[in-house]
Amino acid sequence: MKLINVRRLLLLACSFFTLVLAGGCATGTTKNATSVVDYLFPNTKDPVVTPGIPVLKLPLHVGIAFVPAESSYRGRSRQSTGIFPRYMDGGPALTEERKMGLMKAVADRFREYPFVKDIEIIPSVYLTPGGSFANLDQIRTMYGVDVIALLSYDQVQFTDEGIASLTYWTIVGAYVIPGEKNDTQTMLDAVVYDIPSRKMLFRAPGLSRIKGSATLVNQSQQLRIDSGKGFDEAAKHLIVNLNEQLTQFKEKVKERPQEYKVVNSPGYSGGTGGGAIDPVSLLLLAGLGGGFLWLRKRS
Amino acid sequence: MAAQALLSKARLPVRTLAICAAALLVHFVPWLGQLLIYDRSAIAHGELWRLLTGNLVHLSDAHLAMDMAAFLIAGTMIEQRGYHHFMKLCISAAALIGMAIYLFEPVLQFYGGLSGVVTAAVVYLCLQGMTEQGSWRWLCAAMLAALSAKLWFELVSGKSLLLVVGGGNFVPVPLSHLTGAVVAVILFALLHLSPNFMPRNAARKSAA
Repeated sequence: MKLINVRRLLLLACSFFTLVLAGGCATGTTKNATSVVDYLFPNTKDPVVTPGIPVLKLPLHVGIAFVPAESSYRGRSRQSTGIFPRYMDGGPALTEERKMGLMKAVADRFREYPFVKDIEIIPSVYLTPGGSFANLDQIRTMYGVDVIALLSYDQVQFTDEGIASLTYWTIVGAYVIPGEKNDTQTMLDAVVYDIPSRKMLFRAPGLSRIKGSATLVNQSQQLRIDSGKGFDEAAKHLIVNLNEQLTQFKEKVKERPQEYKVVNSPGYSGGTGGGAIDPVSLLLLAGLGGGFLWLRKRS
Repeated sequence: MAAQALLSKARLPVRTLAICAAALLVHFVPWLGQLLIYDRSAIAHGELWRLLTGNLVHLSDAHLAMDMAAFLIAGTMIEQRGYHHFMKLCISAAALIGMAIYLFEPVLQFYGGLSGVVTAAVVYLCLQGMTEQGSWRWLCAAMLAALSAKLWFELVSGKSLLLVVGGGNFVPVPLSHLTGAVVAVILFALLHLSPNFMPRNAARKSAA
């Protein structure tokens, strides 16, 4: 009788540790992403678009938009393994408010350059998933922009359980012990295209990595916070890179005139002003000088 | 004989020639021009000397020729007539023109040209000339009236009478002329309304 009880106890103990170990190995990932390639080249059967030589009419009219997620993909995927269920809705896709904030920051960066006349922030609803260059042509007609900065993002959130997750078996531990380890990796990408020539002018990425921890019950909220932080930091990095790329692009245009044609609109000076004496003033001054010499000679 | 008499009265306009020489040097030494031109981004990053030195940089040969010709005429007359504080006028006008452009022309990335300082010199010359007697006084008054009309036209229309100097691919900046004129009027007013403002002026007044 005693032997049976000992065996039962051992079996119970083994089951318990198996469950704990299985729980400790639990992982989950959430991926939110949009892709410029999916948007511009949605159908691989189509012939490859051959870019022409861009003719940049200065000052430029620039548009900024977030590429939409492809409808079948919906910009999100989830994967979860392990004994504890993973509620991976914690990391939402980029909200419209955050998108507008980011586009405004990028627009402000472009506005610093005298060769940019105006910036149009284009709402996401005007871009159709997989719309390709036909959709960009429509936007060009609607907004009068020649160059567009297409923004996309890719955020992956990994969740693992640390050793502290053993305390979840006490129920209370699930509420108070941060046994969930989160890792949020974000990439924002700005690709600038000349619409008429289909030529990519330059791109600038922004990267970030946020590491954190959460209790089991607080996991969703913490993932949302990490997601927001990830986008904010990636945006800052993107702005810095964008500044560098814009400066490099200016130099590239000067160095490679065969690849980029630049046409100045009438009255555009390229942001250069000169203090110049006009011929009428010079003639008047010469007259005054003549009078000065004549008076001097007479005296 | 008359020419000899004229030469004997003439004194070398040292300050005017020095400024012209500096402008020539800056124009023909490209790296110097790049170092001194008014560059808004560079100024924002602390290169404040460009506010002052941008006036010495010219954007084309024609631009340099016109500005230097005008400055030579105005500067020579100021120095020949013995009007004091010419260098102070040039430096204060150049600095304030740079500041005015930085504050009120945010679109301009680059600026170069001596015309604002030339305008300051001409206005100062005319105001000083109007304090004298005889025909010179009326000549200066006529010049000042013509210059005021030109400035007014530039400000109201937003255009310039610039017809010949077109090779530099730049837009004229009437603000530089207006700032130069204002600086000259202020300096003149300070010298005449407050005789103790500058010691040399006070000494000259007391000697008179």
